[in-house]
Amino acid sequence: MSRTGKSSKAGERRGTRKKLQLPEVMDLTAAAPLAQSLLTRRGSDLSIDASRVRRVGAQCLQVLLAASATWKADGVNLALEKPTEEFLAGTRLLGISFDQDMTRPESA
Amino acid sequence: MDALRQIFFQECEEQLAELETGLLEIQSGGSDPEIVNAVFRAVHSIKGGAGAFALEDLVRFAHVFETVLDEVRKGKLAASEHVLAIMLRAADVLADLVRVARDGGSVDDARIGTATDELASLSGAPAAAHGGASETEAEEEDFAFTPVAVAFPAFDEVATEPEPAVNEFTITFKPHASLYSSANEPVVLLRELERLGEMSVACDVTEVPLLTDLDAEGSYLAWTITLKTTHCEDDVRGIFEFVDGDCDLTIEGTAGVSAAGEDEIEALLRRIREEAEAPVEDAASETIAVETAVIEAAADEFSSTDEAVAAPAPVHDAKLAIVPAEPLPAAQKAEAPKADKAASGEAAQQTIRVDLDRVDRLMNLVGELVINQAMLSQRLAEAGLSRSSDFATGLDEFEQLTRDIQEGVMAIRAQPVKSVFQRMPRLVREVAAATGKKVRLVTEGEGTEVDKTVIERLADPLTHMIRNAIDHGLEKPEVRAANGKREEGLVRLSATHRSGRIVIDIADDGAGINRPRVRAIAEDKGLIPANAQLTDEEIDNLIFLPGFSTASTISDISGRGVGMDVVKRSIQALGGRVSISSRPGEGSTFTLSLPLTLAVLYGMVVTVGDQTLVVPLTSIIETLKPKPGDVHGFGGDSRVIALRNNFVPLIDVGRELGYRTQIVDPGAGVALLVESDGGAQSALLVDAIQGQRQVVIKSLEENYGRVPGIAAATILGDGRVALILDVDAVVAGARNGGLASDNLLALAG
Repeated sequence: MSRTGKSSKAGERRGTRKKLQLPEVMDLTAAAPLAQSLLTRRGSDLSIDASRVRRVGAQCLQVLLAASATWKADGVNLALEKPTEEFLAGTRLLGISFDQDMTRPESA
Repeated sequence: MDALRQIFFQECEEQLAELETGLLEIQSGGSDPEIVNAVFRAVHSIKGGAGAFALEDLVRFAHVFETVLDEVRKGKLAASEHVLAIMLRAADVLADLVRVARDGGSVDDARIGTATDELASLSGAPAAAHGGASETEAEEEDFAFTPVAVAFPAFDEVATEPEPAVNEFTITFKPHASLYSSANEPVVLLRELERLGEMSVACDVTEVPLLTDLDAEGSYLAWTITLKTTHCEDDVRGIFEFVDGDCDLTIEGTAGVSAAGEDEIEALLRRIREEAEAPVEDAASETIAVETAVIEAAADEFSSTDEAVAAPAPVHDAKLAIVPAEPLPAAQKAEAPKADKAASGEAAQQTIRVDLDRVDRLMNLVGELVINQAMLSQRLAEAGLSRSSDFATGLDEFEQLTRDIQEGVMAIRAQPVKSVFQRMPRLVREVAAATGKKVRLVTEGEGTEVDKTVIERLADPLTHMIRNAIDHGLEKPEVRAANGKREEGLVRLSATHRSGRIVIDIADDGAGINRPRVRAIAEDKGLIPANAQLTDEEIDNLIFLPGFSTASTISDISGRGVGMDVVKRSIQALGGRVSISSRPGEGSTFTLSLPLTLAVLYGMVVTVGDQTLVVPLTSIIETLKPKPGDVHGFGGDSRVIALRNNFVPLIDVGRELGYRTQIVDPGAGVALLVESDGGAQSALLVDAIQGQRQVVIKSLEENYGRVPGIAAATILGDGRVALILDVDAVVAGARNGGLASDNLLALAG
């Protein structure tokens, strides 16, 4: 997470950047609602705010990975903002790392 | 807790079925590693559940069994005929243990002991079990996976094996969706692992699809974990103990493993995996599955199919170090069916368990709906509204909908006969062992569906008939050999749908019914007069008489005080019939013909005397108006009717059922040409036809009592009760001098 986020120019120009707050507990019950709320925001730039996350589970990360692939395929920007220590620890443990620009995820 | 127990035992039944099916599939030459996996999973799930309910015996035995299956799964033990025989016996013992755990009672300790010892001998000394026969080795190759070398021509360039470190484990872990749904979490598992030592994790995200294709509760991630630890493998495995059945897991100790000690190919594959660092697709699954993936990789790489060409990236490339985040449709397509098969939990998600009572209530309501709709139709007719009025059209649509609903509900109740058929192989094994005969059971049409109630009540008669077929039908091996037959007798169990009924054949290639002996016994027991004139068919049917038993000594197998008469009665109670065709020296076939459902039937509503009767449409071939010249007297009161250069008996239904005693003029009525058991045709004389209708069957036996010649009753649109004719009974009754005479032969035939 060393790089600073770059926001999509297109998104700024159109002013369509949306926001999504990740829930505090991202366990398996949160996966389906998360996927749903991501789907409704599809097609425009999106900032995902991870500042409240206290617990993270693999299924929610699957959803985020799917989202990052989807946003990348759509050619719009997806950013992860303010990840908590807990969020980072969870992703590190699972060997997943999200660049701040989430359309460029890498395997840890 | 009781509810949980019940679910556990229901699942056990399913797992046991899976186990038996799998073993039999392997026995008949199936070499798909997935079958072995499925069999393993079945035993493993039973063990897991049994552990939760503290069923010690079950856990202990399942564990021994599982160990052997694991050997087979890993290719260390060949599934030879000998091994399979032991495993099939073990499956029987396991089934008994489950049953005892559920219903109480006890299993013979000696049997458990023998089975345990047999199993232990397999897993304890796998080398000895191989026997060295070339056949065995050939079979083993099906489980080991040699033909992969072509997949990786670059084997020689692969890096040399890394320096073995003490207690370094490579763990591949791919959760099934069921792992998540049972509230387990990879994060927790990996955290536990991390506590054991130094860990590095690589996550395979290749299977994660686009958001639109994602099942948020599915499982797409897989991990390859390298762990350096002072703990032993058991400690590592212990972490995954509770999710063992819900994931693909391999744990390989890198330390102290030398290539000399294992299959060369396996060593090469391991090196490839290590070289690849990031997991190759499917690397997280069980060993055998990995090999399959490699073979598939070869196929993909070398085939020129469109998919392979269209694949955006070489998914299976061994050097795929950086895992692309983009989904790879071709690869997913290839994997999808396997994933379905692998995760039995996923299949279970597509079904729901519904209390049978609820379905039955629904069925009853639909029955009432049908009656109600019939009543409406009748009111409409009485009101004199034209058939073309909107009201009538609406009612037609209503009728169609009712029928659709009814079929829908019936489909819910319908189940494949497989659930009964798959109990038979075990029975055959046991009976064969007890009688010292060699028997091969062939089943056909397991997928044929029939109402659940029919299936449940089919098990006992079928069991008895198969016992009979082996015990009485098949000859001893030496007799068969002397008669130029294969020593191994054949019993064929088949099911088909035929004109709205299910027909089940139980055929053996034994000696056929010994007619002189059957006749002698019947005379001995006073069942028939000594000088009775009987056709072959009638003699065959004597075995259905109450009190008839051909075995001179009561054998363990068939002679349990239950005769074929009970079989016949239970089939009749289902609205079915049994018929026999037997050829001396060639074998016998018992044919059961049963209704698909016990709830409704399409019938022709007729008038006889002042009564309304329903004749099942399935037995009617045609209807005709007899011309006076066509009907001829035929000794006594019997009459025949000429029909296209043929004569068929004309039976006056009114007289048979006792509605009238005098002979009526056939020209005033209508004849229904019906076909009864064995294909014999008869004409039933009724007064008039009212129409065809779907009627809801209400059991007469439950509500009143059994009436000869009547199968059941129904409620008509006007609210009156109409009786449903038992065509076979009426025809048989007429042939044997009337239903009222209580002729034993009539009951039997």
